[in-house]
Amino acid sequence: MGKLVYQGIRLLPVIFFFLHAPLFPAYGQTVVEGSVRDDKSREPLAGATIVQKNTTNGVSTGPDGTFRFTVQGSLPLTLSVSLIGYHPGEIDIYDASEPLVVSLREATNFLDEVVITGYTVQQRKSISGSIVSLNVTDAITDSPDQDINKLLQGRASGVQVLSNDGVPGGGVTFLIRGNNSINGSIDPLYVIDGVFVGTGGGVSYPGGGQAASNPLADINPADIENISILKDANATAIYGSQGANGVVIITTKRGKVNTKAKIALNVSRGWSEAIRQFQAITGPETGQLVNEAVYNTAVDRGIDPSTVTLPFPDYASLPTYDRISDLFRTAASSTYELSASGGTAGSSYYIGLGYTSQESIVKPSGFERYSGRLNYDTNLSEKLKVGTSLSLVRTYRNVSNSDNDPTGVINSAIFVRSYLPVFKDDGSYARYGAFDNHLALIEHLDNNAVNWRTIGNLYAEYAFLPDLKFRSSWSVDNSELTEHNYSDTFVNAGVAAKGRATARSTRSLVYTAEQLLTWIRSFGSRHSLNALLGNTVNARLREQATVTGSGFATNDLRDISVAAITSGSATTSESRLLSFFGKAGYTYNGRYTLEGSIRADASSRFGKNKRWGYFPATGFTWNAGTEEFIKKLRIFDALKVRASFGYSGNQNGISDYAALGLWGANATYLEIAGTSPSQLANPDLTWETTRQFDAGVEFTVLQSRLNVNFDYYDKYTYDLLLNVPVPFRSGFEYYLQNYGAISNRGVELTLQSVNVQTKDFTWTTDFNISHNKNKIVKLASDITMGASGRNASILREGYPVNSFFLYKQLYVDPQTGNAVYDDVNDDKLITFADRQIVGNALPDFTGGLTNELTWKNVSLNLFFYFQQGNEILNMQDFFLVHGGTQNNIGFWPRQLERWQKAGDVTDIPRLTTFSGNPNENGGAANNYGGTVANLSSRYVDDGSFIRLKNISLSYRLPKTLVSRLRLGDVKLTASASNLLTFTRYGGLDPEVSAQSSNQNTAGYDWATVPQPRTYQFILNITL
Amino acid sequence: MKTIHTILTTLSFILSAILSVILLPSCEDFLDLSPSNSIPSDRAITDAGTLRAAVVGAYSQLQDYYSGSYVSLGVMPADFVSYNGTLSQYLQLDQNAIPNDNVITVGVYRTIYRAINSANSIIASVASIDDPLLTQAEKDNILGEAYFIRALAYFDLARGWGGVQIQLKPTETLDVLKGIQRSSQAGTYDQVAADLAEAERLLTDDASTRNRAQKATALALRARLHLYREQWDEAERYATQVINNPKYALVEPYEAFFTAPFLTEESVFELTFSLNDRNSYWNMWFPASLGGQYTLKPSDKAVERLSDPDTGGSRNAAIAGTGSNVYGRLYNTAGQAIDPAYVIRIAELYLIRAEARAKKASPDLAGATEDINKVRARAGVPPLTGVTGAPALIFAIEEENGVEFAFEAHRWFDLVRTRRAGEVLGITNTDFWLFPLPSSDILSDPDVTQNPGY
Repeated sequence: MGKLVYQGIRLLPVIFFFLHAPLFPAYGQTVVEGSVRDDKSREPLAGATIVQKNTTNGVSTGPDGTFRFTVQGSLPLTLSVSLIGYHPGEIDIYDASEPLVVSLREATNFLDEVVITGYTVQQRKSISGSIVSLNVTDAITDSPDQDINKLLQGRASGVQVLSNDGVPGGGVTFLIRGNNSINGSIDPLYVIDGVFVGTGGGVSYPGGGQAASNPLADINPADIENISILKDANATAIYGSQGANGVVIITTKRGKVNTKAKIALNVSRGWSEAIRQFQAITGPETGQLVNEAVYNTAVDRGIDPSTVTLPFPDYASLPTYDRISDLFRTAASSTYELSASGGTAGSSYYIGLGYTSQESIVKPSGFERYSGRLNYDTNLSEKLKVGTSLSLVRTYRNVSNSDNDPTGVINSAIFVRSYLPVFKDDGSYARYGAFDNHLALIEHLDNNAVNWRTIGNLYAEYAFLPDLKFRSSWSVDNSELTEHNYSDTFVNAGVAAKGRATARSTRSLVYTAEQLLTWIRSFGSRHSLNALLGNTVNARLREQATVTGSGFATNDLRDISVAAITSGSATTSESRLLSFFGKAGYTYNGRYTLEGSIRADASSRFGKNKRWGYFPATGFTWNAGTEEFIKKLRIFDALKVRASFGYSGNQNGISDYAALGLWGANATYLEIAGTSPSQLANPDLTWETTRQFDAGVEFTVLQSRLNVNFDYYDKYTYDLLLNVPVPFRSGFEYYLQNYGAISNRGVELTLQSVNVQTKDFTWTTDFNISHNKNKIVKLASDITMGASGRNASILREGYPVNSFFLYKQLYVDPQTGNAVYDDVNDDKLITFADRQIVGNALPDFTGGLTNELTWKNVSLNLFFYFQQGNEILNMQDFFLVHGGTQNNIGFWPRQLERWQKAGDVTDIPRLTTFSGNPNENGGAANNYGGTVANLSSRYVDDGSFIRLKNISLSYRLPKTLVSRLRLGDVKLTASASNLLTFTRYGGLDPEVSAQSSNQNTAGYDWATVPQPRTYQFILNITL
Repeated sequence: MKTIHTILTTLSFILSAILSVILLPSCEDFLDLSPSNSIPSDRAITDAGTLRAAVVGAYSQLQDYYSGSYVSLGVMPADFVSYNGTLSQYLQLDQNAIPNDNVITVGVYRTIYRAINSANSIIASVASIDDPLLTQAEKDNILGEAYFIRALAYFDLARGWGGVQIQLKPTETLDVLKGIQRSSQAGTYDQVAADLAEAERLLTDDASTRNRAQKATALALRARLHLYREQWDEAERYATQVINNPKYALVEPYEAFFTAPFLTEESVFELTFSLNDRNSYWNMWFPASLGGQYTLKPSDKAVERLSDPDTGGSRNAAIAGTGSNVYGRLYNTAGQAIDPAYVIRIAELYLIRAEARAKKASPDLAGATEDINKVRARAGVPPLTGVTGAPALIFAIEEENGVEFAFEAHRWFDLVRTRRAGEVLGITNTDFWLFPLPSSDILSDPDVTQNPGY
C-alpha cells in the first residue's frame, strides 16, 4: 500500500502537467501513445503491460519501450501500468494529444530491507547473522490468539512454538533452534522497545506440571510493529549471557513526525468450540469390563471363576451418566482496540488502548486483558532527543487445576466411572475415590489471578556529532500478580477445612539501565564503518507473600482475615547482572562486511571465582549479487552469502543463590525453627556456554518474485548448568555443576514468492520449514523424570532430550491375551533394565505455509502449520486403559479393544488385576500392573500434524464509499482457526504439552484443555 | 520551558553516565548477594542457637518420612490396607510389584538419608562448639538426640532395604561418599546398636517428653532392634525397662492415643505436627465426600478383625463408615492436619516382650500370655483362650500385632522379619521382601548394588 502511494507521488509531475494543459472535450475513440521508462536510469522498459482501468483493453510496450493503443470511452480515464520487477503504476489521462511518459520505480529486493538487530538497525545486505524480521500485519493478528509468541507459530523458520494447552493466555513453549539446556532456562530473551522483560512469575495455582500462564500474554499484539528473531551467534552475542536461546526483539508502533493523526479502531467477536471432546464408555460397558477383570483375575489366581461373585451380575442395567458434555461450552471472545498515532514537527506519538476477553472452551477458565500504551519521542534540540515507551496492562485469569490433579475439573469428569450418579439422592454433589465432583468445581471453584504489569522505558539520545551518538536508557518491567483461590465447602479442598482460601501476591521486577555509544561513518565511497560500545546493569527481584486461611463461618465469607486458622509466608530473591559490550562492523564497497562483537557479563548467581563470562562472535557477509560475474549470469536479482561463529551464555533458570552452600531454615518442628542442609556449595559454578556456527545464503530470482533464505547451523552447548544426580546417601538429590553438553544442528529454509501480481490480483506464498536435530552429547548419568514420579521421560547421552522411557510392548499374545514386552537384556525377566527409549517429543520438522490471495478489495489468507516426527504420551490412555486395576477409575473407549478370547489380535491386553510374578514377560501381572505398571509404549502415539491454523477472508470497502463516510479505510474480516487438522494422533488434539513447567518433560497429553476451533468476525476502521 | 527541558535531560544523561562509571569499582559488591531464608553451610552449626536449630531440623527430617510415606511402606505391601486410589505408586506397593523408581520408596530412602546427614552434621560439629550459653548437659543431650535420630534412620533403612551404605560423616563435599559400599543387614543393625548405645549414654529422662528422644526412647528402639535381630533375652530386658517406666501406660479407651491433643501416656515416641507444620496423611485415608483422596483403605480382613468384639474390641475406633465405604480414621484431624506420626507406643513394648518371651531359648509362655492379654484387655477384648504351645501363641502375637497396629508401620516389616510374608501374603519370592534401591542411585553411584530381583 505504502509503495503504491509513493508511486502516486512520483507520477504527480506527470499528472500536474496534464492538469495544466488546455482542456478540451474528447469524444469517441481516442488513441493514446507514449513510452515507459525506469524512473532512475530513464532507460526504456520493454514488455510493460498497459491496461485501461476497469476494462480488458490493453497493450504491451515494444523493445523501445513505446506503446500505442486505442482507448474506449471518453477522457479522462486511467491507465494501469505494470512490469515484473517494478512497482505497478497508474496514470490519469486528461489529454491524449501529447505522448505520455510513464516512469516505473524498480522494486527493491529484500536485501534492501531494514532489519532491527541487537542495539542497531541495519540493511539486510550487510547483516552476517541469521535474523527473521516479521512485520506484524493484520494477517498475523487476525488469529484468535492474543499472545504474541503464539502468533509466531509457523511464521519464522528455526522457531518452534507450541501452545501447551487450549486455555487462552495459557503456557507456551517457545524454542529457537532447539532445546539448549537441561536445568537452565530455554526461553529466549525478549526485548520490548529495549526493555529486557521477565518471563518468570506466572500464575502458580494450577496443580500438576503445567505452565499455567504465558507472561507474554501481557503484551497487546495490536501495538506491535515488528518482531526480529535473532538466531545465530553473531546476532545474539551482543546480548551475551542472555542470548544463548536466541533473542526476540519486539518493536512497538511509534508515530512519525509531521504526520496527521491516524486513528484506528479494531473490533472482533469470536466463538470457540472443541474440535473433539473426551469420551467415556457407557455404564453397562464399564460393568462388563469390571466383571471381566474380576473373572480373569480369578483364573490367574487359579481359583474356579464360577465361584467368584461378580461385582455387576446385572451389568446391562447399569445407568450411564454423562459428565463430559458438562465440561465444554461454546466459548465467546471479543477484542476492542483503539489507537492513535501521528506527529508534529518535533515529536511523535502512538497511543494504544485495548481490551480482550476470551473464555476457555472448558469451564470455568477464561482470560481478560486491558492494555494501554504510550510511545512518545521528542527532539528537545537538534542534538538531543528523549522519549518513552510505556505499557500498562491488567490481565485477569480464571484458572482451574489441570493434568495431575484428581480434584481438577477435567479429571473429575473423565475419570469417574460412568455408572456413578453425579448427585447423591439428596441432591448434593457426589464424589468418588480421589475425585472431586466436576460440577461442584465448575460452579463453586473460584481461582483467579490478576496481574498488573508495567513495562516502561525512558531514553535520551544525544548526538555529539551526526555520526556519534550516545543513548542512555532506563527500563523497568514490573509485574504485580495477585492470586485468590477459594474453595468453599462444596469443593473437595474445602470440605474438611470448612472452606479454604489462599491469597498470594508475587512481584517480579526487572530493572535495566543501559548506556550506549554508537558511531557510524563512511570514508570515501568504498569504506564504511560502524562501532558500538555499551554497558548494562540488570537486576531481577522477586518477592512473594502467601497467606492461607481455613475454616469459614459460611461459604459467603472469603476474606482470610475471618478464617479460623490462618498462616502466611513471604520470600524474596534477587539476582544481578553487569555487562559491558562492544560491536564493530566494516563494509567494503557495499560488498564485503566483516563484523565482530564481544560481551563481558558478570552474574551474581555464580561463584566468585567464575563470575565473569566473555562471549565473542564474528561474522562475514559477501554481497555476491553486486559482483559483475554474478550479474552476468542473469539469474539472481540479489545474492548474499554469510557465515558467523561465536559464543553466547546462559544463566537463567537456576536459583538466584545456586553457587552457595546452604542450610535451609524451613525445617520446623514443635513450632521451633530448625535448619537442615539444603544445597552443596559450588564456588566454581559458571556460565553455560553455547558455541554456534551458522552459514546462510539469501537470494532473489525470477525478477524479484522469489526470495530464498537458507541456513545451516551447528550449535553446541557445553558446561551445562546441570543438576547432576548424586547418591541419596549424601543427603542431597542433586549437585548443580557445569557438566554435560547438548548439540543442536539444523537447516532452515524460507521461501517468499509473488506468484501472480497484476493490477487487480495478487497471490503470494510464504513457506518455511526447519529441521533441528537435538542430541545430548555428554551427561553424568541417565536422568529420569516426569509423569509425577513415574519417570516416563529420560535424559540419556546420545539421545535427544524429551525422550520417552517406557517398556516397549512388542505384541499382545493372541493365545494368552498377555502383553509381551521387549526384553532388552534378554534375561527372560522384565525388570527396570528393560525400559528403553521408545519415542521423542521433539518434532523433526516444523514449518508454516501462508497463501495470500488478493483480488481487488477482497483478500483470502490461508495459513497452515505443521510439525512432523514427534511422539505424544497419552496419559488419558495410561490412566483410563487400566485393565481393572483402578477401582475408582472408569475406562476410555480404547479399553474395549482388549483381548477377550484366543485368536484376538489387538494391542490392548487381557483385563486382569493379578499381580503374581511381576517379572514374568508375557505374564498376566504385567498387562496393566506388575513391573511395567502400565508404562507401556502402547500409549505413545505419533504427534505429527498439519493444520489449517487460520483462514481469513477480508473485504475492504471501496475508497469512494469510505471517503463518503469520511473514513480512511474500512475492512471486514471473517476468520476461522484450526478449521482442519490432519493427524494420526488418537487423543483429542496433537498440539499439547501438559508437563510444560519442566522443559525436560514435553509431549504429555494429560487432562489438558484441547486447542479450540474458533470463528471470528473482525472490523478494522481507520480514520 | 524548552531550556529547562534541555537542562533536565542533559543532567539526567550526565548522571546516568556517571552512575555507570561509579558502578565499576564496586561491581563485586554489587554482585555479592545472599538469600534471606538460608544460612551459609560453614556457619550452620557454630553456637548454641544454631546447634539447637540443627537438631530441630533433624527431627523435621524424621517427620518428612514418618508423616505418611513410611507408614504406607509398612502397611500397603501387607494385608490390612488395600489400594483404593488413583496414585499408581500405591498400587505398586499393594501388589508387591515395586519398580525401583517407585515414588514412595524413593522418597523415603532419600529423606532418611537427609535425616542421617543432619544427624552426622550435628555429631561432627558438637565438639567444636565453644559457647558459654551451651552447657555440657545440653550438649550431651543434643548429641544423644542426634545419635538416636541416626539410629532410627538406619534401622528404618535396614528393615526396608536390607544392608545399606553407612555414612557417618556430613556431606560437605561429595568426596566423603567415595568407596562406601553396602553393608550387610547385620552390619547396618550393628551401626544402629552402636548409635543407640551412645544415645542411651548421653540422653536423660524427664517425666513428660514424648516427642523428642529420651533415654527411654533409645531403650525402646533397642528392644525393637533386638527383636528384629532375634536376640530374645535382650529384647525382653529392654522392653521390660521401658514397661517399668511409670511414664508410660496403656491408655483407655484405645482411641485416646490418636485423639487430639495426643502425647498420651501410651506414647513412647511420636512426632508432633502443628498448624504451621502440617501432616495431611488423613487425606490418603478419608473418602472424597469428607475431603480426602481415599487412596488407602482398610482391607476386608482388617475391617473384619477390627469390627469383631473378640479380636478388635474398642480398636474398631480406627475405622468408620459402612459397607464399601469403610475408611481408616487413625489419622483424623481433617480440618487441621495435625495428626502425629506414631513411632513407638507402649503397646508395642508389651508385644515385643510377649514375642521375646515366647521365642527365647527357655520360653516363658505364661509371661507372654500375660503381656498379650494386657494389650487385649485395654481394647476390651477377652483374654486369649485355647491357645496352647509356643507356635500358637506366637501366631496369636502376630495377629495381635496386626490388629493393634493396623494402620501403623508394623505389619509388613513384622511378616518379613518373621519370614512369614510368603505364607501369610503369598509373596513367595523372597527378593520382594526388600524394597528396591532407587534407580537414580543405581545410575549415579558406582559403589552401590541393587537388591536381587529388581
